[in-house]
Amino acid sequence: MGLLEVSGLDAGYGDLQILAGVNLVVDAGEYVAIVGPNGAGKSTVMKSIFGLTAYMGGSITFADEEISQLPPERIITKGIGYVPQNDNIFPSLTVKENLEMGAYILDEVPQSRLRRVYDRFPVLEERKSQKAGTMSGGQQQMVAMGRSLMLDPDLLMLDEPSAGLAPDLVEETFDRVDQINDDGTAVLIVEQNAKEALRRCDRGYVLVQGSNRYEDTGEALLADEQVRQEFLGG
Amino acid sequence: MGTRDARGLRTAVTPERLFGGVLLLGVVILVLDLFRRVATGDLSADALSSFLWRGLVDGLIIGLAAIGLSMTYSILRFANFSHGDLVTTGAFTGWTVAYIIGGIGVADLSSRLLLRADGGASPGEMNMHILAEPIAIVSGLVFAAVATILVALAIDNLVYRRMRNAGGIALLIASVGVALVLRYVIAFFYTSSTRGVTASAPESDHWLLFWTDSINLHQTTMVVSAIVLMLGVHLMLQYTTLGKAMRAMADNRDLALVTGIPTERVVRATWIIGAGLAGVAGYLVVLDRGTITFNLGWFLLLLIFAAVILGGIGSIYGAIVGALIIGLAINVSLVWIPADLNEVAAFGLMILVLIFRPAGLFGGVETA
Repeated sequence: MGLLEVSGLDAGYGDLQILAGVNLVVDAGEYVAIVGPNGAGKSTVMKSIFGLTAYMGGSITFADEEISQLPPERIITKGIGYVPQNDNIFPSLTVKENLEMGAYILDEVPQSRLRRVYDRFPVLEERKSQKAGTMSGGQQQMVAMGRSLMLDPDLLMLDEPSAGLAPDLVEETFDRVDQINDDGTAVLIVEQNAKEALRRCDRGYVLVQGSNRYEDTGEALLADEQVRQEFLGG
Repeated sequence: MGTRDARGLRTAVTPERLFGGVLLLGVVILVLDLFRRVATGDLSADALSSFLWRGLVDGLIIGLAAIGLSMTYSILRFANFSHGDLVTTGAFTGWTVAYIIGGIGVADLSSRLLLRADGGASPGEMNMHILAEPIAIVSGLVFAAVATILVALAIDNLVYRRMRNAGGIALLIASVGVALVLRYVIAFFYTSSTRGVTASAPESDHWLLFWTDSINLHQTTMVVSAIVLMLGVHLMLQYTTLGKAMRAMADNRDLALVTGIPTERVVRATWIIGAGLAGVAGYLVVLDRGTITFNLGWFLLLLIFAAVILGGIGSIYGAIVGALIIGLAINVSLVWIPADLNEVAAFGLMILVLIFRPAGLFGGVETA
């Protein structure tokens, strides 16, 4: 059994269906990427897993428990962390307050986890009293990741973490995701930067028009002539 | 060439900036004139000091009410036009309790319950001032907050909760309806007559603040209560988990939801704090003015909005600063204009700020 199993998922916004029969598995500790053209519904898959879209059918199980009809505030307690693509920090709160909000559902902020986040992102400790909204894009991304790590999730979902970052920061961001995964957290990532994501991940899914098109290891997808032609620009 | 000139002109002197400039010049001239008057003795230091004190008193009262308005705006995302009538609710419920307790043996219960709607025993006969009836007046203050909170929670449950995602305009219109219902329910029970409810305030010359000969103890009670409550709200917002969650939700409601912040509980806390402060503000306004009337909050609402807009809508610190500026403006302007017209000064300043800083003085700096 995989940690996360999505099968035959139909979902969308209001009456508009975006996803049609999406299947996806993430095993414990695995690193899985979803790539595909714009408008394929990549982000929608993540939002649907987190209970932020209109559910229309299919099943989502996490650690053998059906979660497809749960609201986000329940899903977060199951061990799934989610970092949205945009607006993923509280700009007028300090860095430390942002991290504390990540552990809001716990009775008190676990100091050991705060410590681990600071060890992972030392710049956040240096700037813990700074308002998060005044930081650079790369640092804000660290605040967002740090916040979602405060609950020590079994699965971390990252929606385009490298979007809008300068090229050298893109590399750094992917390195950080690797580290998080190396420490045992399963990662599900949606990326526009498909080649880099497929190079780093264990397995990848190519999503087209709301359905799976290809599914294989990252290396195999990168090597596949048809995938290269259609989705990776040759 | 032509386009560049046109653009240069447009940024340089738009009609509103021209108007704003004239207004600003007027304010500068008036401030200079104020200095001249004080220097030449046209305006005694005593008179100026009493204008400033009055400004502080009015500013703090408006500020107390403005905090709640600003919070409902930043967390529930609508301009609550019924906020003024929550102020009125606090005034009537609080003073009713003060009368029930303080008027025992002087007036009969029905007269006390309806706050002298029958014109019963006068406030003077009841000795309704802070030194003679401290327990009654403090109980009234507490009850004003409690009752207003209950009314606001009931309204939220009946009206606003059902339209949480309806958008700012629909909620605003609903709040106008709520305002009218509240106001006329109050008028129905308490009648629409304006009446005195407090005995004249005792004066104390023990501590000489603001260089005046003596100090009005009702105003002092008000100033102290307002400052303590504002400090409390500040500490709550900055240092408690709930306060941080409120700021987080004001910042980014969708992210707050994904982070597991219980948004409905934050909304409830917003009503509790905002309505509690509004109720206390209404109660204290009456303590200061001595009279009560069913549209007291409605008339105050314009000044409350002016304070919130001046400070930058959504920022409670902006609302407090805005309120102090409004309070000072309406009082210091009495040097030049009659009291009936002094709100012109408040709204003139508001227009001025909106022309040059459309987001308000603190706009975009600090939320919640």
